[in-house]
Amino acid sequence: MSDATPSTLPHGVPEGSPSSHTAAHAKTQHEIRSVTDQISSIVLKRGTPVGWYVGFGIGFLLTMVLMMSITWLLIKGIGIWGVNVPVAWGFAIVNFVWWIGIGHAGTLISAVLLLFRQEWRTSINRFAEAMTLFAVACAGIFPLIHLGRPQYFYWLFPYPSTMGVWPQFRSPLVWDCFAVSTYATVSLLFWYIGLIPDLATLRDRAHNWSSRVIYGFLAMGWRGSSRHWKRYTDAYLLLAGLATPLVVSVHTIVSFDFAVAQIPGWHATIFPPYFVAGAIYSGFAMVLTIAIPLRYAYGLKSFLTDWHFDNMAKVMLASGLVVGYGYLMEHFIAFYSAHNYEEYMMHNRMFGPYAICYWMLILCNIAIPQLLWLKKIRLNPYTLFIISIVINIGMWLERFVIVITSLHRDFLPSSWDMYYPTFWDWSTYLGTIGLFVALLFIFIRVLPMISIFEMRELVHHEGGEE
Amino acid sequence: MKSLGAQPPELTTAREPVWRSLEEYSGDPEFLSRVQREYAVGAEWWLDEPSRRNFLKTMGASFALAGLTGCGIRQPEEKIVPYVETPENMIPGKKQFYATAMPQPGGAIGLLVESHEGRPTKVEGNPEHPASLGATDAFAQASVLDLYDPYRSRVVKRNNQISDWPEFLAELAPRMEIHRQQNGAGLSLLTGEILSLTLRSQIQQLLKDLPEAKWYQFEATASESVAQATELAFGERCSPRYQLVDADIIFSVGDDFLHEGASRVRLGREFANRRKVEANGQANMNRLYVAETTPTITGSKADHWLRLSPDSLAAVLVGVAKKLGIDTGAIPGVNTVAIEQHAHWTEVLAADLQAAGPRAVVMVGPRLPSTLHVLGYAINQKLGSLGKTVTFHSPAGEIAGVQPETLQQLVSEIDAGHVETLLILGGDPVYAAPADLDLAAHLSREKVAMAIYYGLHYDATAAQCEWHLPATHYLEEWSDTQADDGTVSIIQPLIRPMYQGRSVHEVFNLFLNQASLSGYDTVRAFWKERFGNEDYTKWHSALHDGLVKDATVPAKSVSFQTSALEKLSTLADHLTEKSTGEYTLLFRPDPSLLDGRYFTNGWLQELPQPFSKLTWSNAAWIGPATAEAIGVKTRDVIVVSNGTTSLEIPVWVQPGLPDKVVTLTIGYGRTIPDVESVGVNVNPLRNSQHPWQSTGSVKNAGKRVVLAATQHHHDLEGRDLLRHGTIQEVQENPRHPAFVQSHHHGGSPAAHDHDHDHDHDHGHDDNGHEAAPRDIRSRVPGSDQPTFYPDMKQVGAQWGLTINLGACTGCNACVIACQSENNIPVVGADQVARGREMHWLRIDSYFVGEPEAPDVYHQPVMCMHCEHAPCEPVCPVGATTHSDSGLNEMTYNRCIGTRYCSNNCPYKVRRFNFLDYHTEEKLLPVLQLRENPNVSVRSRGVMEKCTYCVQRINSVRIHSKMEDREIRDGEVVTACQSACPAQAISFGNIADPDSVVSKTKEHPLNYGMLAELNTRPRTSYHAAVKNPNPALVSEKENA
Repeated sequence: MSDATPSTLPHGVPEGSPSSHTAAHAKTQHEIRSVTDQISSIVLKRGTPVGWYVGFGIGFLLTMVLMMSITWLLIKGIGIWGVNVPVAWGFAIVNFVWWIGIGHAGTLISAVLLLFRQEWRTSINRFAEAMTLFAVACAGIFPLIHLGRPQYFYWLFPYPSTMGVWPQFRSPLVWDCFAVSTYATVSLLFWYIGLIPDLATLRDRAHNWSSRVIYGFLAMGWRGSSRHWKRYTDAYLLLAGLATPLVVSVHTIVSFDFAVAQIPGWHATIFPPYFVAGAIYSGFAMVLTIAIPLRYAYGLKSFLTDWHFDNMAKVMLASGLVVGYGYLMEHFIAFYSAHNYEEYMMHNRMFGPYAICYWMLILCNIAIPQLLWLKKIRLNPYTLFIISIVINIGMWLERFVIVITSLHRDFLPSSWDMYYPTFWDWSTYLGTIGLFVALLFIFIRVLPMISIFEMRELVHHEGGEE
Repeated sequence: MKSLGAQPPELTTAREPVWRSLEEYSGDPEFLSRVQREYAVGAEWWLDEPSRRNFLKTMGASFALAGLTGCGIRQPEEKIVPYVETPENMIPGKKQFYATAMPQPGGAIGLLVESHEGRPTKVEGNPEHPASLGATDAFAQASVLDLYDPYRSRVVKRNNQISDWPEFLAELAPRMEIHRQQNGAGLSLLTGEILSLTLRSQIQQLLKDLPEAKWYQFEATASESVAQATELAFGERCSPRYQLVDADIIFSVGDDFLHEGASRVRLGREFANRRKVEANGQANMNRLYVAETTPTITGSKADHWLRLSPDSLAAVLVGVAKKLGIDTGAIPGVNTVAIEQHAHWTEVLAADLQAAGPRAVVMVGPRLPSTLHVLGYAINQKLGSLGKTVTFHSPAGEIAGVQPETLQQLVSEIDAGHVETLLILGGDPVYAAPADLDLAAHLSREKVAMAIYYGLHYDATAAQCEWHLPATHYLEEWSDTQADDGTVSIIQPLIRPMYQGRSVHEVFNLFLNQASLSGYDTVRAFWKERFGNEDYTKWHSALHDGLVKDATVPAKSVSFQTSALEKLSTLADHLTEKSTGEYTLLFRPDPSLLDGRYFTNGWLQELPQPFSKLTWSNAAWIGPATAEAIGVKTRDVIVVSNGTTSLEIPVWVQPGLPDKVVTLTIGYGRTIPDVESVGVNVNPLRNSQHPWQSTGSVKNAGKRVVLAATQHHHDLEGRDLLRHGTIQEVQENPRHPAFVQSHHHGGSPAAHDHDHDHDHDHGHDDNGHEAAPRDIRSRVPGSDQPTFYPDMKQVGAQWGLTINLGACTGCNACVIACQSENNIPVVGADQVARGREMHWLRIDSYFVGEPEAPDVYHQPVMCMHCEHAPCEPVCPVGATTHSDSGLNEMTYNRCIGTRYCSNNCPYKVRRFNFLDYHTEEKLLPVLQLRENPNVSVRSRGVMEKCTYCVQRINSVRIHSKMEDREIRDGEVVTACQSACPAQAISFGNIADPDSVVSKTKEHPLNYGMLAELNTRPRTSYHAAVKNPNPALVSEKENA
């Protein structure tokens, strides 16, 4: 086929059909061809901007820090971290929960909003899904390396051992193992399937042989026939249906790691919904943290409009309020239980040695995000960017407060102790951020960061509505 | 240097040292020069003084390996007698016990030492020995680690160069020839306290043969006060021995009798036996009044506890004496204001003492000035308790007719040039002696022609002396020793000397010109003379029993000379008038390291000290008011100065310590090559006139250091974890004492109602599971609370443990016993500071009451073996599971180290191997010899915790199965239980209604810590019960 584009046209829409209207949603000035041109050119054009090298370089360096940290960890043992008894879980678990939370936005945007036919998701779903995958990858590192004997991590899986031993299925850590691995698998499939038509576009537009082969291989012979499209949309919808419960299940089960334990501050029935809301909160914050600079760097203002940001800010505001309700309930239950361990735990959070973390968390997660009630703030990318960063920090602090302050003073005052993160705690954490950044930059460079075919579909629909 | 061929023939003793040729060649100049020429790299280490460290490092591993191969199978050649089985019965894998005794300051403690294939691994008390009664203290428990101490001296050294015994003798022999011709003039001997009868006879013989030779004595922990006071009060030097079995009222003035002194284990037993409450609420409790300056664990057990400045201590004694009608006259230096201040307290106490009469006793701390001792004897005399609750004996180590001279005299003799050959037997006097003597400078070659130091380490004294002779540990030598009451034990070795060490008797034989006589022969000959015709049987039974029967020394009959009170001002250490210096500096032996002799012992270094729970360092204890005045907090550094010397030391703010007092412990900051010197050596602040108390100034150094403590919060935060009350409260409601009930949120009102109707518990519970029989449930606190979980399957014996908090003195013996039994690693100060200590059993201290002078309670905490253990369901791999006999078990091999179990354990008794804590054992294999072969050594990344000594349970189980019978009550004894002097720990089968532990579980004082969490703990506590005087209860004791 000589023409590059027809193979990827959805629903047999003829190429070049006029679509110069101001779309009600996307405010785009795009035609279908220009959508394809602009998005695919980021990947296919020759030469890479200097900014990309700088960004990737930072990520790569930090990834090397991660490698070094893990290597030292494997040599010496987890004693290089600040964990102790009673605070046997430290940064590793805090970071795990944080990354998993961030990883929530992708599926939510892709699957849930797809099912709800929220078409504005189209602009953000691709990189939100990628972000999800990378966040889950970062998250997945932690439960593995935080084991005292990481070489035996596979004992968590039910495999037919010759000794006939199985995991202990009552432990939330085993549930975790299933929940996270399922989530990672479904997210990967969902993302990959969503990529197939776009991979075919890239294959067709590739300038050199090697790109053509690689993209061609990954496109799995996509030709864009209506039969392909039929099966494709069915599969995508089915996967969306499958992925939807996962949005709720993963963080619910992660919250069980705490809720099932009996430590005051962990043992709370509010945890599952409160964790899910927190995950959505931090996930959307991270999407914004990435989307806003991306829009500037690649001039995607026509795809990622203020209206998109406004929508995301509203989701953040709503989920933030649910999180705030969770905090409120923790306090209320501590008071209402008249259980002096619970009461002390709350008192210790607010006025104990880690009080600064608690009040920073309230500031970051509850106080500052209230600015989002103002439309002006929501429509200003600068303020929105700052707030999204603040929420990311706040959500990290929330996990820190839950994990550390609950453990460091539990039942017996004799065993109370402090937790101080070490250099290696920080280097591992920053290392995973580096890995995340590096993966994101690679993704931006080699794959279309906005779904081409869905954007075109959107443009077409809007054109059709006129 | 003499050539090798010139050695006298008697030097070839029976034992060939393992590395003989290596050492000898190393001393051979020709060989050395050849080595240097030909094998240049590193060969200079052999000669080069500063590189000795490198040499040791290089050779350490090989020496240790040689030790491993050489000693593992080297039983002593002479016949030693096992306690229960004969040597031909030695079955690999089966432990054997041998009776021996460990010399300690003031008297020995009789021990049974567990041996595995010739390796002593664990120490137990000898039930037949009067100073042990089957229990031990932390020092005895830790002494087995000293045997394998990798920093021990291994070879003879001359000027810090490796030498050997023949060379030493070659040097000594001509010198001794000259001394002999001069009747011993110029020959001096500096020893510590001598508990060995054989050694005493050897010294006696030496002084008889060489009348001009001099004997000096210096014991770092000793105090002259008692000797001076008894001399004044009774006209002869003797030492008091207390009997608390019949003592109803005990008044201790600064005497930490539960933690210090040779009788502490016995006194702990006697004291604790009178603190236990019967199930019907009846008790024959004693009442303990303590007035002291530095808070001690004895004070923490007191019913009435005064913490007073040193000058007020005498005031209280004077007050009591006056109330009892003793005319003390005017005693200079007594704080008369304080007499008035504590008038009510002393009045109540005096009335109590008077009522008890001969069943009362006044004890005075050995380091307090003699005036207080004389006052104490006067009161005891008045009460009629002399000869009843307190008896007097000859001081330990006394040699009839010979009086040793003091260290001061030695120094002046050296200055006078009268000392040519000086033999120092242990004790590291250069380190331990008060600084004003400046012993180090006196040991130089110019002043003493030949100074010889015989000791276990190449320490500060060894570094000053020309010759250093390696000593033997008590577990590898033949000797004998004496307990505080005169009971004699033969020390039989469990292993041949691991290095080139020789016993003190053998060294002495070199001076007695009988170098060929072995230690065994010397001791044997000494006793052969005494045993006479029955020698064989008596020797055999002495070895077997661990003591020589009918060799006890009867108590002296003494009478108090009332004129003594008038002569108080003639005492050498009489009370001084109020000092000019701002702060009182009090010195005391460290509760963990004593005088520093256990400095290299990792177990004791890491043993949390009472109250502060500090490890790996000493600190200056100051009271909160003083801290505020200086402007320091715990871990800040202060400068303590006595006018001439000042040193920096970190501060520990200790509630209860009176104002203007600084308490310092000796024993830290020793210098031993390759051993990191932890803590601060405070000996430079001491003076020989008043070694235990002086004055000085204190100021803030403006620095801060890291101190590794294992407990940071001592406030109970209103939680009922540690329940305590009074005997009066018990007797108000003996079945349900109010203070034993949980006072929490509506948790479990009926948890401790033992006569609560349990009928509904019979049969099946709601889940259809077979419910445990009612009687077991009644012995597990909280097991009548509703639960969703099915009962655990219970088959056979059900293990349970009870700790009596009223009896527990917090002496730490159990902590070390547990460490020794279970191969618990030492993690070091850095790891402790990070909260990673590994003790399976810890002793929590809680401060109750006024923050200025709180009451202190001790609570040993180990795994509770919960029936519904929170750790079990959260483990993702099932590495921690429940056994049919109710043990919460760890499967180390299955553990992947998620640490979730530790997080979910409300008692935080689980310990995690954050790093590889056995690296030292890998680098220094000699340490592996000490490990208990029946307990796995845990690897990095694995969780561990108390197992109720499951290896002991299984050993008994196997034994009972072979005999086809049930396990008898009391047959399984856990390590902590057997070590406990107070017998505060009961262990056994709670399914057996007649077992001792079942009775303790049904006791009204029994409660489960955090039982309201539905954990159903198998370890439970008896609430602490005190016996305060109702007349003082309403008083503010510290007013």
